[in-house]
Amino acid sequence: MSQLKSNKKLKWALDFNQKNKQLSTELPSPPGYSQSSNANYAESSKDSDSNLLLIKKLWDVALGPLKQVPMNLFIMYMAGNSISIFPIMMVGMLIVRPVKALFATQSTFKMVEGTQAIGQKIVYCIGNIVNILLALYKCQSMGLLPTHSSDWLAFEEPQTRLEHIGGGLSLI
Amino acid sequence: MGNLSINLKPNFMGLLKCLNSINWFIVFFSLINLSMCIYEDQIGKFDWRQSYVGRIKFAQFDTVSTARKIIVATEENVLAALNLKTGQVVWRHVFESTSSGNIQLLHLSDQIITVTGSNPYLVRGWDLSTGVLIWEWGLTLQKNEHTDFSEWWVQNGLLVHMVPKFGSHIEVSVYNVATGHNRGATSKLPAVWINEGCVLSPPYYTCISGSPGNQLLLSMDVTSDAVQIISKPLAEYTTARNGNLNPFDTNTVIPGFLLNEKIILIRGNKFEAINIAISEPSASVALVDSASGPLVLQTWNDEAKGFTLMAHNLVSGQRVNEIGWSDRSLSIPEPELSAVICTKTAREQHVCRILVTAADDASHLIQQEGRVLWTREEALANVVAVEFVDLPVSDLDAAIESEFDQKEAAKMHSSVLAAFTRRLQSQFQQLQGAVRALLAGDAAAADEPPPLVRDYFNLHKIMVLLTDTGKIFGMDNLSGEILWKLYEPNLNTEAAVMFTRRSARHPPHDAYLTVVGKHEETGNGLIVSLNPIRGTPVGEQTLHLDVQILQCAVLYKADAQKLHALILLDKDENVQILPESSAPLVENMYMHVADRSSAVVRGYALRHDGERVSAKNIWSVDLSGGGSQRVVWSVSKPAAERIHSAGRVLPDRSVLYKHLNPNLVLLLTEGPDPVHKDVVVATCVDGVSGGVLSAHVHRRARRPALPLHSEHFLAYLYYNDKQRRHEIATLELYEGPERWVPAGAAFSSLRGARAPHVQRHAYIVPAAPAAAALSATERSLTDKHVLLALSTGAIVELPWALLEPRRALSPAGEAREEGLVPYAPELPLPAEAVVNYNATLLRLTRIHTAPSGLESTSLVLATGLDLFYTRIAPSKTFDLLKDDFDYYLISVVLAALVLATYSTKYFAARKMLKMAWK
Repeated sequence: MSQLKSNKKLKWALDFNQKNKQLSTELPSPPGYSQSSNANYAESSKDSDSNLLLIKKLWDVALGPLKQVPMNLFIMYMAGNSISIFPIMMVGMLIVRPVKALFATQSTFKMVEGTQAIGQKIVYCIGNIVNILLALYKCQSMGLLPTHSSDWLAFEEPQTRLEHIGGGLSLI
Repeated sequence: MGNLSINLKPNFMGLLKCLNSINWFIVFFSLINLSMCIYEDQIGKFDWRQSYVGRIKFAQFDTVSTARKIIVATEENVLAALNLKTGQVVWRHVFESTSSGNIQLLHLSDQIITVTGSNPYLVRGWDLSTGVLIWEWGLTLQKNEHTDFSEWWVQNGLLVHMVPKFGSHIEVSVYNVATGHNRGATSKLPAVWINEGCVLSPPYYTCISGSPGNQLLLSMDVTSDAVQIISKPLAEYTTARNGNLNPFDTNTVIPGFLLNEKIILIRGNKFEAINIAISEPSASVALVDSASGPLVLQTWNDEAKGFTLMAHNLVSGQRVNEIGWSDRSLSIPEPELSAVICTKTAREQHVCRILVTAADDASHLIQQEGRVLWTREEALANVVAVEFVDLPVSDLDAAIESEFDQKEAAKMHSSVLAAFTRRLQSQFQQLQGAVRALLAGDAAAADEPPPLVRDYFNLHKIMVLLTDTGKIFGMDNLSGEILWKLYEPNLNTEAAVMFTRRSARHPPHDAYLTVVGKHEETGNGLIVSLNPIRGTPVGEQTLHLDVQILQCAVLYKADAQKLHALILLDKDENVQILPESSAPLVENMYMHVADRSSAVVRGYALRHDGERVSAKNIWSVDLSGGGSQRVVWSVSKPAAERIHSAGRVLPDRSVLYKHLNPNLVLLLTEGPDPVHKDVVVATCVDGVSGGVLSAHVHRRARRPALPLHSEHFLAYLYYNDKQRRHEIATLELYEGPERWVPAGAAFSSLRGARAPHVQRHAYIVPAAPAAAALSATERSLTDKHVLLALSTGAIVELPWALLEPRRALSPAGEAREEGLVPYAPELPLPAEAVVNYNATLLRLTRIHTAPSGLESTSLVLATGLDLFYTRIAPSKTFDLLKDDFDYYLISVVLAALVLATYSTKYFAARKMLKMAWK
């Protein structure tokens, strides 16, 4: 414990009254100067510069889906609720794009291993999910979701019968 | 597209519909085949028509015109000319089916003279070759009950009409044939000796009169001015105590008659007995002229020798050997000589052509040596019931099927090796078949009729037709060829029913069809069971019960032999099960019987108590409405009906569930009413519980109340007396937005009584319908169409959508989105909807429909005086290529594309190589 204390002392306190039995050939670095830390500093500042850029870029990517939401809303509004070929294509795009994007999350964020990667991924996924929900809402308002009993009518089991009848007009 | 978006409220199904309609646009632009009717070159491709005339009543050979014909007048009130060589109808006139169309006389001179009707009479002259009406005059006599016995004949260009008043006198009137001018007014000849047993042999009227033992044979020429009666004691001619007079079936020579199998002629006002023996009391005798003097022809059906014909010379009494033969192979029950013509060849040989009409209504034209030139099965003019029977699969297919059937069993019992060898065997068989077919080529295909095996789409079937005379026919539905016929003389088919009790799908077992009718004489049940593919009796064969049958049904469950038992409910409410071994299978079975005249419907529950099946009357409904109503129809749902959709999708995407009561029976009653003249009542009764689900009264309405019943909808046609038009009332039964029983659950009529919601409408049919039917498809996926047979001879196909009771008068938003047509009271009957194009069908009585293996296609047979078969595709042929599909073009294009692909590949590779060397 005392050793540790003395060590600590050694780090920060300059002992001018040291009895130097062995004179070091090299001069000690001036106080507060550290070669390694200097080099480190230069390197780390360079590194964090590009890192920041990347993070910024990646945040852009991650926020991209969310930024599309207003645009999608506008497209949806313009497409209207009628079922014809263009609205169908648009709705198809609205659904397919975020789904594709979700599947491609890993490849999109491949190069990043930062502290914010997880957050970015989450935001990206949320954005895509919001887009999918929007598309589903569109489908719903267009009536394309099989949510009514009428949509499942064709798959219902046919009715069976318990009693059987025969007969008709008297044959006599 | 814009149009679509208005009509369809968007939903998931809507998307499908949209895609579907895009599909339709493709179809439209590529095929342009949206019309329901067929192209001119398709006439006769899917349909055929057979024209009949009915049982021949009078027949005469046309010897005048160059084109040889037989002119016939029939029991069906048809005047027709038949081609002598082929028996085809050259021309045909159909008179009224009531007594006003009855043909009383057919006389051939240079024109055809007919007398039709029964007071008033119509005398008409027709052109021989074309059948065109040349002249006509009417005759109305004073009302008297004796006109039923009146006789007509033509003598020296004068039409003679004789009315006997039994025990009093004879009234004879003579008219100018062409003008109707009454020559000598009416003369009354006193004749107290005439009675109902008299025979006419123009111009003599002959009777047996007097007290038994002291009888006289009396005869009188009714046309001579001076009344001369020939009278002889009966004992001179016959030893029998009672004389029995019969006219000749055909007589063109000398007046004469048959007296107890003895031929007696009247020559020079004297009776003259001819010494020619009539071999058989039932023989049909004809007197014909020939080059070597008059001949006596007699024919009968000998038990040992079969159909027998014999000829004698009238003068010499010698047998004419060249005319006369027996043929065992000919089955002509109770033959009757309708017309005979005899000529002589250069080699002094008699040549006779004989038209024979049998008890089964078939007419045969027989030439020398018993060669039958043609046969007309006139029984088919009166078809009572029709059943479509599937053909068995071919042996090869059956082998393959059995292989797959036994797959499960094979896993258990035999090794993989066994299965493999079986596989190899069947492959080898297939190969053999293919090689054989290849070797045989087209030559064999042209000669042989196609084998009676099921085709891929199950379009080839056998139609079993039950006729009024008791003759049963098996007919190929594609060609209309008669495959087999079975005559059951004792079968009364008045209320007969036919059941297919086993289809041909169960290979080791034959198909099994049963006809339940009545015995001609006793009225007791007569059951005929046969193999509908070959027409041979099977199982119970012909079973004559000793009790009258009230009703019958087929058990829904099959026994181990895949045979559905026949349940017979007899007059004493006893139950018989055929075969008896199936009795334990009777379970949850109910029967109902509607009595026509009393209009009481009784329901019976059938129970098996361990030993026998008994029927217990559990309910009865009186529909007589105070005693005046009669039940005219009772229709339940088709037994094998499948229902595709349990509900109807509304525009707000909710479901309106159909009330699919499989036990529903539609009963139509009709009767006079003190206030409203006539009333037609339609009652929907549950066949199990007897509950009345709905009832509708149509005042001042009459028959024909033709019913239609399928799925959840019902319809019936009636004549509106007030507006003097035909109308069709349609009903649809709905459960509402909630279903009563969960999906897939069993429906029970006994589980709570809730009344379904009934929607109804009535529409005007701007024609007189004679028959109605609904199209039937295998899975009921396709739309239902209504086929209406009109009295004009057309069959019109109407989509159910036009008859729908949900059609609103002015559809508001939602209904319009549902695609309902706005209500219009009058149904359109467009000419394009006529399925029989210009082939007019006379006197249609029924339309029969059957599903085929193709979901889109329904087979239709219309019966009446004509038979007409066709197939209809209510939702167009969505599962079939057009029949003029260009297979060559598509294969050529495909081949060219493949070729082009490979050649480009080669050239591309070469170019790449060259580039690389540069």
